[in-house]
Amino acid sequence: MSGKTVRRPMDTFKYILRKVLLVIMAAAVVFPLVYMLSSSLFRPSDFNKLNLFPSAPAFTNYVKALSHRYFGYYMVNSVMTSVLAALLRSVVVILAAFAFTHLRFRGRKIFLAALVLTLFVPQEAVLYQNYRTVAALGLIDTWAGIISTSLFSAAQMLLLMGAFAGIGSEPYDAARIDGASDFRYIVRVLVPLTGAVVLTMAIQTLITSFNSYLWPLLVTNRPQMRTIQVGITMLGFMESGDIGAQMAALVMVTVPFLAILALTKKRIETALIRS
Amino acid sequence: MTCVCKPDRLPHVSSAIPLKYRIKPYLFIAPAVILAALFWWYPSAKGFVDSFLTISNSGKVMGFAGMKNYVMLFSDESFTNSLWTTLKFTLLFVPSNTILTVLAASLTRRRSKLSFLPEYLFFSPVAISLSAYSLLFREMFRGKASVMNRLFGLESGWITEPAGAMVTLVILGVFLDFGLDYILLMCAFRSLDRNIIEAARMDGAGGWGLLFGVELPMIGKTVMVTVFLALKDAILICAPILILTEGGPFRSTETIMFYYYTEAFRSGNRAVQNALSSLVLTIAALAMIIYERRERSRQ
Repeated sequence: MSGKTVRRPMDTFKYILRKVLLVIMAAAVVFPLVYMLSSSLFRPSDFNKLNLFPSAPAFTNYVKALSHRYFGYYMVNSVMTSVLAALLRSVVVILAAFAFTHLRFRGRKIFLAALVLTLFVPQEAVLYQNYRTVAALGLIDTWAGIISTSLFSAAQMLLLMGAFAGIGSEPYDAARIDGASDFRYIVRVLVPLTGAVVLTMAIQTLITSFNSYLWPLLVTNRPQMRTIQVGITMLGFMESGDIGAQMAALVMVTVPFLAILALTKKRIETALIRS
Repeated sequence: MTCVCKPDRLPHVSSAIPLKYRIKPYLFIAPAVILAALFWWYPSAKGFVDSFLTISNSGKVMGFAGMKNYVMLFSDESFTNSLWTTLKFTLLFVPSNTILTVLAASLTRRRSKLSFLPEYLFFSPVAISLSAYSLLFREMFRGKASVMNRLFGLESGWITEPAGAMVTLVILGVFLDFGLDYILLMCAFRSLDRNIIEAARMDGAGGWGLLFGVELPMIGKTVMVTVFLALKDAILICAPILILTEGGPFRSTETIMFYYYTEAFRSGNRAVQNALSSLVLTIAALAMIIYERRERSRQ
């Protein structure tokens, strides 16, 4: 029952213990990242000597990775498919969430339940059937094939329905009286009002599509159509013993995301803490 | 004006509503419904039906198989091996993931001037993709002569020996889930009502007592979410194994989904693949129902 200002020896000990634990954990979490950055500057002999830091920093690894004949293709494919997936999925989910929260129609409950049912089906479990569907549609080695299975998300639809319902019916009624069409209402009123949720959702889709591995691996055969996440495992540097070039490629894929994270961290936190 | 958007409430006038307005809601949900049908409903239904049929390798239905495909699946030694491997991985991964993420979040749950730094560091694994981490770990844990052994003065063979490969996979799994779980838990801690915490502090609760007695129980729901996510990832793990160990050494890291992947895409074994797909779907559905029940009973 000691007062706040009195610090007993036991408290000081606990305080130090907490800080030490924190430092150890933080060091463990960033070590792989630090090693990735450090070893991207290694010379081949540094890997054999199991160095932690480069003996003489060299940027040749980056030159080598960048001059890989397919690296550019991988990047373009990844950026385009993840941007397309984020945009198109947002449209699909916004339209559905709007209909389920603003419109009454026959079978509304059944359609909603059926869509929510997809939450029970992990994509991993239907990988093979979906591969056959995409192959039958002739979408192997196309961007459409890569993004096909990520254009809908029941979880995001439910999230958005919650946000839309939170607005209430007044703006919609007002827009209808003004004679605005539903599309106009969605674009001009609904999406701006729920901007934070929509944006968070789109970013989430962008990151997950950019980082997906298994599906893009299955639906692409030509090296020119592979995404970066699949491509960096097939650069051939590891196999030829050129680990430094492999690490440089990993760094170039990772750093943009570290920057995005630093810029959006605050926003993500406030969004999460409020809810 | 209102009857246009609420025809269900006024069924007697619905015939008076122009067709254009009656069809409109369906046009809005059409993209979602078509996608769900194509990539969720159809494959799960087809996999389920096909799992009871005998299908030739060229795709022809040869007849009704009953439970034969399932019997075949369970009599395959590599499948039962993959079940054990998945169980082992789950039992190692889920508790270590939960303990470490809760620990990191509770160490940084109070705001301070410098707290942005550990927050960013603990959050940073989100920026590193699955294949990047897997490739990185393949190098760091490559065997006896590896950075990890040098760093900790160990003699482990890591991914070159069965036990070491499993441990490496568990560590990799923790890194893959760490960032997201951390941010969820940390934000849950900070969303707590300050008044309750202050009241508990006035009553003499402090440090660990406050954490275990007051704050952790209050964020129980978020902890359950992260446990559930970890459980899902553990049961469905496949891609990291493809990159890190290819299921080896000696099949020690062949999980259920890795087995499914190799059977479906490398051996083209349809019987086993359909049965397994249906089995995983059933497990997923059961897990979701149990989770929903728990959530509901809490409220």
